[in-house]
Amino acid sequence: MTRVQASPLALRVSVLVTTALFGALIFAGPAFAQTEGEGTNDLVRAALVGLGYYLSNSPWLLGIGGFFGLYRPLVAGFIVGIIFGDPVTGAEIGAAINILYLGFISAGGSIPADPSVAGWVGTALAMAGGLSSEAAIALGVAVGLLGTLVFFTRMSVDAVFAHWADARAEAGDADGVARMNWLPPQIFLFFISFFPATIAVYAGSAVVADAINNLQTNAPWILRGFEIAGGLLPAIGLALNMRFIFRGTVWPYFFIGFILAASTAGGINIVTIGVIGVALAFLHVAFVGDRAERAMQSRGA
Amino acid sequence: MGMDMSDRPAVKLDRSDVRRSFWLWTFFSHANYNYERLQGTAFAQAMVPIIKKLYKDPEEIKAALKRHLVFFNTEPNVGGIIHGAVIAMEEQRANGADIDDDAINSVKSGLMGPLAGVGDTISQGTITPILLSIGISLAAVQPGGGRGNPLGSILYFVLEVGIMLALAYWFWFQGYDRGREGVTSLLRSGLLDKLVVGAGALGNLVLGALTFQFVHVYLTVTVKVGDGTFEFNEILDKVMPSLLPLIFTLLTWWLLARRRVSPILLLGIYFVIAMVAAYPFFAGSVVDPTTQCPSILHEFYQPDCIPPPAPAS
Repeated sequence: MTRVQASPLALRVSVLVTTALFGALIFAGPAFAQTEGEGTNDLVRAALVGLGYYLSNSPWLLGIGGFFGLYRPLVAGFIVGIIFGDPVTGAEIGAAINILYLGFISAGGSIPADPSVAGWVGTALAMAGGLSSEAAIALGVAVGLLGTLVFFTRMSVDAVFAHWADARAEAGDADGVARMNWLPPQIFLFFISFFPATIAVYAGSAVVADAINNLQTNAPWILRGFEIAGGLLPAIGLALNMRFIFRGTVWPYFFIGFILAASTAGGINIVTIGVIGVALAFLHVAFVGDRAERAMQSRGA
Repeated sequence: MGMDMSDRPAVKLDRSDVRRSFWLWTFFSHANYNYERLQGTAFAQAMVPIIKKLYKDPEEIKAALKRHLVFFNTEPNVGGIIHGAVIAMEEQRANGADIDDDAINSVKSGLMGPLAGVGDTISQGTITPILLSIGISLAAVQPGGGRGNPLGSILYFVLEVGIMLALAYWFWFQGYDRGREGVTSLLRSGLLDKLVVGAGALGNLVLGALTFQFVHVYLTVTVKVGDGTFEFNEILDKVMPSLLPLIFTLLTWWLLARRRVSPILLLGIYFVIAMVAAYPFFAGSVVDPTTQCPSILHEFYQPDCIPPPAPAS
């Protein structure tokens, strides 16, 4: 019995699907951007965005490559850019949208918004409408809120498959249990993520482009408001993350980091900040350790 | 059921069995994420190669499958240390050690909470924002208006996936090699607490820098004193550069963490503030004569206002 023969079906399928889909995503975009037939073209591009959105929630890219990779607007925007033939603009918009989700934490099965749909659908719509990347943040937020619907639907319906797995366990069918964890839920997820995202991009592009044209002539201040919101909303993303770490004995480092950046007018790059941070973290642990933290926890408990 | 266990031949797991289980978990930990069991079925799937190797009796296979289909939820990378320890326990159990269902369940349910806390602080709380901000600062439109570099997206993806994978693999085999006692003593030793405190220090420093970089609040209120006029924002900046974004971010934190305001409500409120600030009424009352900025709020790094692009015709 060789190892390949013994490898579970799910692993073999995942390796195949990963290579095939990721390859299609990277190479198909620019190729389609050059071919003729405007209508089908738009549909193919929209479908590629839909596929990317499904993949970002799927296990196929090592699991980690989904949630920690394609799920992030920074990565999604870049690939949407490839699909629409302008990776630089795509990455710029994705990066701007991602600022809001810098502090994104999904804990205990809840998410405050869906960064992935904001990245995939948001970037596609913003590119169609020719929005500046700061104004795209607000569009991304709106789309991201809608995306939570997909998450809640999935979290509710997937419970059914857990009972299917129970039935396989009762029959002593180990492979059946394993299959119930990936096959039915992924088919279901594909339906509820691929189709809505594809339709949103295909039908939404023209609507958003029209609306933005309209605003530019009739109410330019709204677009200006979008850009102002782009400066305010990141505070929420950062504060959501601060909820978890701005406490105990380490909160003063927040101010040190702010002053480091502010006093150099942003001239210090984030890698330098990271290196200083590692050094300070080491000193902090060496001299203060986890004593204060533990005292706090036991008081809290 | 436990009597005949000592008579059977010893079953040993190969490292490749443990590794196969690791890959199944890494791929499929969230494939069937749901409100009822969260990662419950994924835990069972990861245990399938282990169960098939260790148990031959159909009744034992059935019992083992049901044992691992219960509610489970932790951070998938750091939390792999639980799976490692559970695999080690299953191996001992299959070889006749006195480990009952309760022992295995208590390790899973006892460790998943604390490790979710530790894991989320390390992975989602520290590593991800740091790498994201490196990628974003490369890929975004540059402060001077220059084009971004999409290499930032690729760099983030490669570093993030690489680091998370290495972390997950390390914790998984730490769990298997140390076993139940080893993992418990590792948690008691305070090493992970130190890691969390260190990650917290680093994370705070980075969040502080990011606040300066990405939060833009600017109040163009001009104060007339005698003949001279003072830009309100310039006075604040003399006190401390970018004081407003700092206060604004701390206020947001206070509302979210202390006042328990829902982030979605706050999102709506900030959006309305931005729209009100952009409304021409304010532009009429306080246009900055040097910049012609049609707003009382705008980004501090772009004091020269960009007029809205002309409509495409």
